[in-house]
Amino acid sequence: MKLMSSPQSLDLDITNRCNLRCRYCSHFTSAGDVGQDLAKEEWLQFFEELNRCTVMNLCISGGEPFYRQDLPELMEGIVKNRMRFTILSNGTLITNEMAAFLASTHRCDGVQVSIDGSNPVTHDAFRGEGSFSRAMEGIEHLRRHRVSVPVRVTIHRENVHDLEGVARLLLEDLGLPSFCTNSASFMGLCRRNAEVQLSVSERSLAMESLLNLSKKYNGRISAMAGPLAEARNWLMMERARRERRESLPGGGYLTGCGGPMSKMAVRAEGVVVPCTQLNHMELGRINEDDLIEVWQNHPQLKRLRERGTIALCDFDFCTDCDYIPYCTGSCPALAYTILGKENHPSPDACLKRFLEEGGRLPDESLMNSSGNRH
Amino acid sequence: MGVAEKDKPIANPLIVLREEFDDWAILFDPDTGNAVGLNPVGVFIWKLLDGSHTAEDILKKLRESCRNVPEEVEDHLQDFIQSLVERGLAGYEAKKA
Ligand code: SF4
Ligand code: SF4
Repeated sequence: MKLMSSPQSLDLDITNRCNLRCRYCSHFTSAGDVGQDLAKEEWLQFFEELNRCTVMNLCISGGEPFYRQDLPELMEGIVKNRMRFTILSNGTLITNEMAAFLASTHRCDGVQVSIDGSNPVTHDAFRGEGSFSRAMEGIEHLRRHRVSVPVRVTIHRENVHDLEGVARLLLEDLGLPSFCTNSASFMGLCRRNAEVQLSVSERSLAMESLLNLSKKYNGRISAMAGPLAEARNWLMMERARRERRESLPGGGYLTGCGGPMSKMAVRAEGVVVPCTQLNHMELGRINEDDLIEVWQNHPQLKRLRERGTIALCDFDFCTDCDYIPYCTGSCPALAYTILGKENHPSPDACLKRFLEEGGRLPDESLMNSSGNRH
Repeated sequence: MGVAEKDKPIANPLIVLREEFDDWAILFDPDTGNAVGLNPVGVFIWKLLDGSHTAEDILKKLRESCRNVPEEVEDHLQDFIQSLVERGLAGYEAKKA
């Protein structure tokens, strides 16, 4: 992947505050939990720099972006500076007026709302009472004003048996075109709420259920991480091993993350970091450091971009593993939160370890259905 | 087709020109989200769409800066500018009544 002259997009923690405290929130207690918010004027000044740097898209998250009363003025700053935006939200604070405002900007590519269950019991289990009905209301407001709502489902112990219900609710009852999934992972609050994360057997179950549902709904379920992404990736690795293929694209090296080639992120107090998940890696401060200079020349960022040259066979962790030529080591942020170093394959995404711990891969025939061929 | 002298095209100031290290670029329309690729010659032309250069001026500058400019470039230039105008990426200054 080629390095871009400036980041094409940025992820901004527009606020550190949130009305909820979900038990698996990756933000709170992470290095991104900075206890303060930048003033509106500072963000607006920064948007002007982003305009000069020809940044195209912003992904606004937090905390909960709609917690900020001045969000509309920030959106106007984004519009004025020739960018588009998406928002990641828990959905509970989205009013009809706010949805109408977002639609009126004509620059909003969507508001991703988290829905974790088909009913209040499973959704509220880790998000707090009342959050399901308020999130559903938020979705209703957005859809009324034709703002796209790419729902995300975070899979955990309390909803792993409700996935069929979730798919029915989102794809049949609400008629959404699609939704995406991930899972509660060892970051932020999840690190101390260990009961939230899927066990090995629940992970096996989630992989199988999601492949089945993806088949049933003709590929309308997507995933960049979590059990569905792992199922697809691991089945591909297993097939490559069985067929004794030489390698898979990117295999054998730490190539699992291309983010730092096209994007970077800013914490709520204005510190620039490579990614909202690699938020301990401080690269500079907005409105003080030149963004292009940080992007093109910061030594830590350069090292992160060279991560793809590190061979998996050099790690004791991977000794004697048959999957080396097919494995990319996955997300550096998870490697960091688990082991304290980003230049290491993520133990959480390790197929060898998963199988050694008794994990089961789904039936390969599920991968051959049209819904799962991507 | 002759080059119309009095027409001085202007790039739409809302459109973002994102230049990459290899001299190629993307024209990004934030209102539609559409992005189109521009080759280095396209970038050269885009930068001269400032309302003070006619297509003929641009052609002249192109011939000065680039070697082996083919004969038919005049037609290509007109087509290129026309396609930008049709897509709302460029226009002409409205004449005062
Ligand atoms: S996951 Fe989102 S909604 Fe939940 S506490 Fe974290 S920031 Fe708030
Ligand atoms: S041990 Fe795990 S991380 Fe290393 S190559 Fe094998 S599957 Fe990948």
